[in-house]
Amino acid sequence: MKANTASEPSLLAATGLTRSYRGGKGVFDISLKLAAGEVLGLMGPNGSGKSTLLRVLATAATPTAGQVSWFGNTNPRLPSVRRRLGVMLDQAAHFDKMTGYQNAWFFARQFGLAGELARDRLDELFRWAGLWEARDQLVGEYSLGMQRKLNLVEALVHRPSILLLDEPTLALDYRAELDLIERLQLLSLTGTAVLLATNDVHLAERICDRVIFLHQGRAIREGHVPELLTELAGSKEVQLQMNSPIPLDTLRSLPAVEAANVDGDTVHIVLARGANPAQVLAVLNGTADLVSNMRVRRPNLGDLFLKLTGEALPVTHG
Amino acid sequence: MMVLAGTIWQRELVEFAQRRRALIIKLAFPLLVGIPLVTAAPPFYAALSLTMLIAIIGTVGAGAVLTRERHSGLTLRYRTLPVTPGRLLIERLSTSASIDLLQVTPVLVLIALRHPSRFEWWPALLLSTAAVLLLGNLMGAVASKLSDSPGEVMLYVFIPLLPLLYLSGVFTPLSQPVLLVISRLLPFSYLHESLLGALSGQPNLLPWETLLGGFGFLVGAAGLTGRLGRRVTESD
Repeated sequence: MKANTASEPSLLAATGLTRSYRGGKGVFDISLKLAAGEVLGLMGPNGSGKSTLLRVLATAATPTAGQVSWFGNTNPRLPSVRRRLGVMLDQAAHFDKMTGYQNAWFFARQFGLAGELARDRLDELFRWAGLWEARDQLVGEYSLGMQRKLNLVEALVHRPSILLLDEPTLALDYRAELDLIERLQLLSLTGTAVLLATNDVHLAERICDRVIFLHQGRAIREGHVPELLTELAGSKEVQLQMNSPIPLDTLRSLPAVEAANVDGDTVHIVLARGANPAQVLAVLNGTADLVSNMRVRRPNLGDLFLKLTGEALPVTHG
Repeated sequence: MMVLAGTIWQRELVEFAQRRRALIIKLAFPLLVGIPLVTAAPPFYAALSLTMLIAIIGTVGAGAVLTRERHSGLTLRYRTLPVTPGRLLIERLSTSASIDLLQVTPVLVLIALRHPSRFEWWPALLLSTAAVLLLGNLMGAVASKLSDSPGEVMLYVFIPLLPLLYLSGVFTPLSQPVLLVISRLLPFSYLHESLLGALSGQPNLLPWETLLGGFGFLVGAAGLTGRLGRRVTESD
């Protein structure tokens, strides 16, 4: 991972980018830069605008205001721009009545790969993704995980300068996720810029140089991952599995609690620096059977997001 | 053996060929309708029905496919391809129209076999059929922008299609000069005239006039498809 890429020339730059939809959804006034070899994460809960932003940056949607520049060009429809982008959108979207290999072949050829080269690269990528045995199977018979792997193959095959990946680890098993992380790190070292929209805190902390937090369509915080994590140094995250609901307001009013949120039967609490988890349990005094399980761990980017917004990122990894 | 397709038109053809059941239905349906019409119906009714059939085949196919693709997310993936929107739409719709033409070819061949002496109408019939199919596909593509389901596409294409067929003189011969002029501005009238001619009926136009009309609409349809590419494929 690179420590600082802010001063390097940008392959991708957005200024005041807005893409709004009826009903008030969308992304608003986003500015970002992505340099060669940099890995930038977009994090936010569902509906925060990650996929919308990624679609605009991937040229699949047009901004309603602001400007985006790809390799110095502002026209998203230039084939020379699109040829250098590798895109994995949120929907798997394949031709279901064609085989996995036929799908990937079509996209490889569309992105300008000659026959022999396309075959070599696809053979390698299909083996890497664990799809080799299923290459002649109709995509309609693929599981979601297999379809997402096929998306990755299609995004990687033409060795793009910028990779734009929407939830790339969604539906992947742990082995496949590790393989993906390794591949992205290698690509980053060889100069590929990577933009990830993800809620996978584990993934973001392992490979992102910088992260942008999106909330209700706006960028609320941006920074290098180590710097962001420093903000939480000394604090702890407490997860309480509850048998019945507890008064969140009471918890939030405690000086020891920086943020608290409920996700199903689990209460996530970010404790202030130096605070003791026992202070939280003291509030639940006399209701010992209320808590069925308690876990204390080092805080992560998800906890910072919770602290900033009061809203938890959907859990993908503990 | 697995056939690999690297271009948009090749992919459309490969997918069509791999859908065996749809392929059989698609090819058999026009023939089932066409055989009694060409062999037993009076030319006027046969020409009316076949004009409607060809117009419907053109409009429904592409529209339904594009609506499905919008829902599955394929439309977004097409947008990220390094292809200009105009080229993308021309390539897709011309392939779709070619498949439609393949679908109605047995009927056209049947007409030629039943009425061999009317060979002077065959070029006009082929061109006007191609023009109606391409324009129909374009109508379907535009309708897919307004629709949430293939059924809705049918609704949106039939609403303009039926009055246009009437104005083309397909349902009843037109006598008023204004209506006659309007009919000449619509592609369906040339298809109808060429069908009447090829079926040994009594067309109002000469074969070369119909040929010219069909050719003009085919070129116009291709140009319009290119112009509408961005609007159809890239706007939300």
